[in-house]
Amino acid sequence: MNEIEIQYFAVLRERAGTSREIVQTAAETAAELYDELAARHDFGLPQSMLRVAVNDEFAEWSRPLKAGDRVVFIPPVAGG
Amino acid sequence: MSPFAFASASLEPDRYRESLADPSAGGYASFEGWVRDHNEGRTVQRLEYEAFEALAIREGERIVAEAVARFGVARAACVHRVGSLGIGELAVWVGVSAAHRGEAFAACRYIIDEVKHRVPIWKKEHYADGDSGWVNCERCATAPHHGHAHADGSAALPAHDYSRQIALPEVGAAGQARLAAASVLVVGAGGLGVPVLQYLAAAGIGRLGIVDGDVVEASNLHRQPLYGPADLGRPKAAVAAGRLRALNPDVRIEVHEVHAAPDNIDALVEHHDLVVECTDNFRAKFLVNDAVLRARKPAVFASVHQYEGQLQVYRPLPHWPCLRCLWPEAPRDGLVGNCAEAGVLGPVPATLGAMQAMQALKRLLGLDAGDTPSLVMVDLLGLETRRLAARRNPDCDHDNPGHDRPTSEQPLELEFETLADAFESGLELVDIRESWERAHDPPGLQIPTHLPLGELVHGRAEFPADGRYLIICAHGVRSLSLTEHLRSRGQAEVYSLRGGLAALRG
Repeated sequence: MNEIEIQYFAVLRERAGTSREIVQTAAETAAELYDELAARHDFGLPQSMLRVAVNDEFAEWSRPLKAGDRVVFIPPVAGG
Repeated sequence: MSPFAFASASLEPDRYRESLADPSAGGYASFEGWVRDHNEGRTVQRLEYEAFEALAIREGERIVAEAVARFGVARAACVHRVGSLGIGELAVWVGVSAAHRGEAFAACRYIIDEVKHRVPIWKKEHYADGDSGWVNCERCATAPHHGHAHADGSAALPAHDYSRQIALPEVGAAGQARLAAASVLVVGAGGLGVPVLQYLAAAGIGRLGIVDGDVVEASNLHRQPLYGPADLGRPKAAVAAGRLRALNPDVRIEVHEVHAAPDNIDALVEHHDLVVECTDNFRAKFLVNDAVLRARKPAVFASVHQYEGQLQVYRPLPHWPCLRCLWPEAPRDGLVGNCAEAGVLGPVPATLGAMQAMQALKRLLGLDAGDTPSLVMVDLLGLETRRLAARRNPDCDHDNPGHDRPTSEQPLELEFETLADAFESGLELVDIRESWERAHDPPGLQIPTHLPLGELVHGRAEFPADGRYLIICAHGVRSLSLTEHLRSRGQAEVYSLRGGLAALRG
């Protein structure tokens, strides 16, 4: 199990009810982590519509996670 | 000689004097301004003059023309130094030739007084104690004074004062001249566009294009304070243009009362140096993205959602990511909400818009050499910003952007004057607004078939696969997005009502 810090934005923040949380997870990749959290928070947004950043850099969904990573899930935003 | 000029080397009054010779002149008067060794109790060692030359020459020529017209003199001219000057050097020369001495003296006095008041020239004094400081030109120090008798008879406003930005070492007179020579296209004059337009106009951008096909609505006012209740129902682009012209008459404002569309975006982008994208929908954002890629122009994108915003700068450099590099699957409108659906506080778009204006100025001034591509996320509730480094997506074809755009020959949008005309078209009308948006519809203007977009995008409802449909929403943005989506799935007989219900008469 790795301890990962997660930050949510926009619709994901609303669904999660928090902008930040720290989770203990067995997820090995960013994609697995999203699936786990999407199920827990009922995100409803397919992963293909989102981007993920790990440690302040955009990353591939297949990127392996390690303890202490900071993960941000970014939904597209359109308001103006 | 030209009536007003700048010189970077020593002035030559004898040469200037000869050029004023005129058979009708019975006399000549001149004034010379010299650099003195003290000012306000401090010992001055030398001076530097800096001018915003394009504007200064225009205003200087106007002053000389006024003097000739007002005093009926034969000839007049003025030359001002720029650059570094020592004590005793000649800083400014004014000369007038006239039939009689009275007019010559009066015109000479008028020219030097008006030049000191109105022409944007800045003076930096270097003091004996090693210190130095910019001294406001008199124009900046005095209260605005109206009522010069201009040659064209119009009452003059004082010239716009850029001294506080010219004072920045990275800007200077050269930077101001770059801004005056620049043109910026602002797509969308809403929550983001209003501050972008205000700050770019105030900064003295030479030419600003405003693209917006909407009218001012009551629900806009809380976050778009360029508009007031008296503007309701008037086209945003035109109202904004009027306000901005009053804010800074130096700026040329061009009004485009249209929504950005595939058939107009390339022509709009082509005539500007930089694009600031301020719309509230993905469709327009990707349209602008593709157009700036084709035109190889820089662009500044931003979006807001409730208390948050995202900012992305695009530069036409080989390694630089575009909007599609970050979002390869163009998001569908309605899925994540815009301001109308999700709500927003005014300072959120205002903050992001001000950031966009700043990034635009940075690009135009060449202050972005050290920037690396990123998406900046701003959370104004948590008061946090986060900068995420972004890379070019190798699968994103910048030479052929927007390849997934529908290429159907059928028009996506249809135009109708009234709802009755639309009903008679033979198409089935489908209202995709949310239920609360329908609550205030007048009884005669109701559309029986209702499929809220929120239900469709979350998979709780399906759009019927067979039949011919006219899709309708409030402004034609969400309906167009859904129409494009359905067409891309092979459904040929779906159309969007252009401009939505807001565009119908009666």
